[in-house]
Amino acid sequence: MSISLPTYTRREIPLLGRRHRIWAIVVTGLRHEIRRPAAIFAVGVGTAITTIVSIVFVFFVLVGQPLELTFFYTPASNPAMLFFVTLMAAAVGAGLIADDLDSMALTLYLSRPLTSADYLTAKAAILATLTALIAVLPLVITPLLAALLGFSPWDVALEAVGISILLGLLLTVFFTSLALFLSSLTRRRAYAAAAVFAIVFGLLATATILSQTGSLNEPALLYLSPWDDYLAVARAAFGASGGTIDWAPALAILLGITVVAALATWVRMRAVEVVSG
Amino acid sequence: MTELVETAGLTKAFGEVRAVDDLSVSIPQGAIGLVGPNGAGKTTFLRLLLGLLRPTSGSGKVLGYGIEEGIPVRERTGYMPEHDCLIPDMTGIGLVSYMGRVSGLDAGTSMSRAHDVLQFVGVEEERYRKVAEFSTGMKQKIKLAQAMVHDPQLYVFDEPTTGLDPRGRAEMLDLVGKIAASEGRNVILSSHLLPDVESICKYVVILDGGHQIAAGPLDRLLTGAQDRLRVDVRGDRDAFLRTLKEAGVDAEAGTSGVHVARKPGAEAEVFRAAKAAHAEVRYLGTEIRSLEELFLDLLERNTGGR
Repeated sequence: MSISLPTYTRREIPLLGRRHRIWAIVVTGLRHEIRRPAAIFAVGVGTAITTIVSIVFVFFVLVGQPLELTFFYTPASNPAMLFFVTLMAAAVGAGLIADDLDSMALTLYLSRPLTSADYLTAKAAILATLTALIAVLPLVITPLLAALLGFSPWDVALEAVGISILLGLLLTVFFTSLALFLSSLTRRRAYAAAAVFAIVFGLLATATILSQTGSLNEPALLYLSPWDDYLAVARAAFGASGGTIDWAPALAILLGITVVAALATWVRMRAVEVVSG
Repeated sequence: MTELVETAGLTKAFGEVRAVDDLSVSIPQGAIGLVGPNGAGKTTFLRLLLGLLRPTSGSGKVLGYGIEEGIPVRERTGYMPEHDCLIPDMTGIGLVSYMGRVSGLDAGTSMSRAHDVLQFVGVEEERYRKVAEFSTGMKQKIKLAQAMVHDPQLYVFDEPTTGLDPRGRAEMLDLVGKIAASEGRNVILSSHLLPDVESICKYVVILDGGHQIAAGPLDRLLTGAQDRLRVDVRGDRDAFLRTLKEAGVDAEAGTSGVHVARKPGAEAEVFRAAKAAHAEVRYLGTEIRSLEELFLDLLERNTGGR
């Protein structure tokens, strides 16, 4: 043990503002997450596979195809992206709040000059950054590569890049909000992770089966599935044909769930200190 | 000088239970002890001060800042919670430095101060190990270090010696004592271990059932009332007390010893009664109590008054 109290002068450096404090949580959280095997797998393999699949489309599918905006719906509807975005939400997002509840580290955060909203913003930024690597990056690379290789005119490619960013962000904020909400409900990250998979793929399977001919034959049931809602929006954005549900209600459902989940998480976080105390 | 803590009618209810009930206190700066039995509302009171809980009614100020503002209070406060709260897969130095940054220090200053405070609390080589591998004593020291890293004006320690062995407890009290003795730093030490509080604090607030039942400078509280004497006897204390009362002396039994009204001739009556009751007077003088005696006395009165 040392023999004296540190003798630096108090307030020799003014404390930095809330934006800096939130940034500190984001940077430390990202460093922490990318060292975990599950996160490494989700980020590395997810980004690689979705990017590679998209590029394969460029080389093998785009050749001889009309160079229209509608083509870029194909990489945007890549099921690999759904799987890896869900995996990311489960592997990283499920533990972001649940782990702090379990270790009661939430008290440490909230006893600092931060609000619940600051804490949630930082946690959301961690997950959103990692999710966007899978949801946005491959969709942006594909049109850029197509334009660079001369398969697509630049104006079409740049329009596709803009749409891809918006679509990728839509998927990112939806999964971020959903995962954080589920993470705030439990102290066990495994439960939250299972719930992410159950909700996304459970609703996808249920909606697909029930909407088909021979079953209830009600296409409107596809609105239940977030992935089908996303596909409806993507189809409309790229001007692709097909699909049985409208993009506007689908977009409203995705954004509505995102906002409701975010608000519910915020309310939950404001009350959780009472529970854990 | 600004009061350390001021509250007016501060109340926090959890359903039917009022953990803090209409509490109005004015606590000066310095080393403050917050004592009370389990369930007295100590932790709830501390969390209200830090803005971690919202009051049901009433208001409060810490270092002149309203508790409803939260952030200005927490910028000036280092909190060491009672329960385990550390991030298990971070290293000791990583966690303390991280908490410095979350408090608003830049990365360089935060790391530098993290090394300082870890050395101060006695976590040396172990600072590079993960928190999950630490013993209870080491974890308590890390909790103390993270509360110190941004050099706050006010330290709030909630049962800092909980779960520590005697050596760890002595070390922790030594550290808390050093902080309390340093200039410009204030300490609120919440504990139900009264000797801990007695060894460090100069001012004490005693809570029971969410109410303040006593508050004041420790030496004044322990000195007790000036209008009565304390008598310790060896022998039959009940017979001694009975004899005193039969002689017309205003006397009553305390948690230890007998309290006698200070009047001319009272000392002589005490010795006469002791002789008659075949008891030996071991102490006669101004009442000097331990905090434990004061605490038990106050609790007994408070419980009796309900």
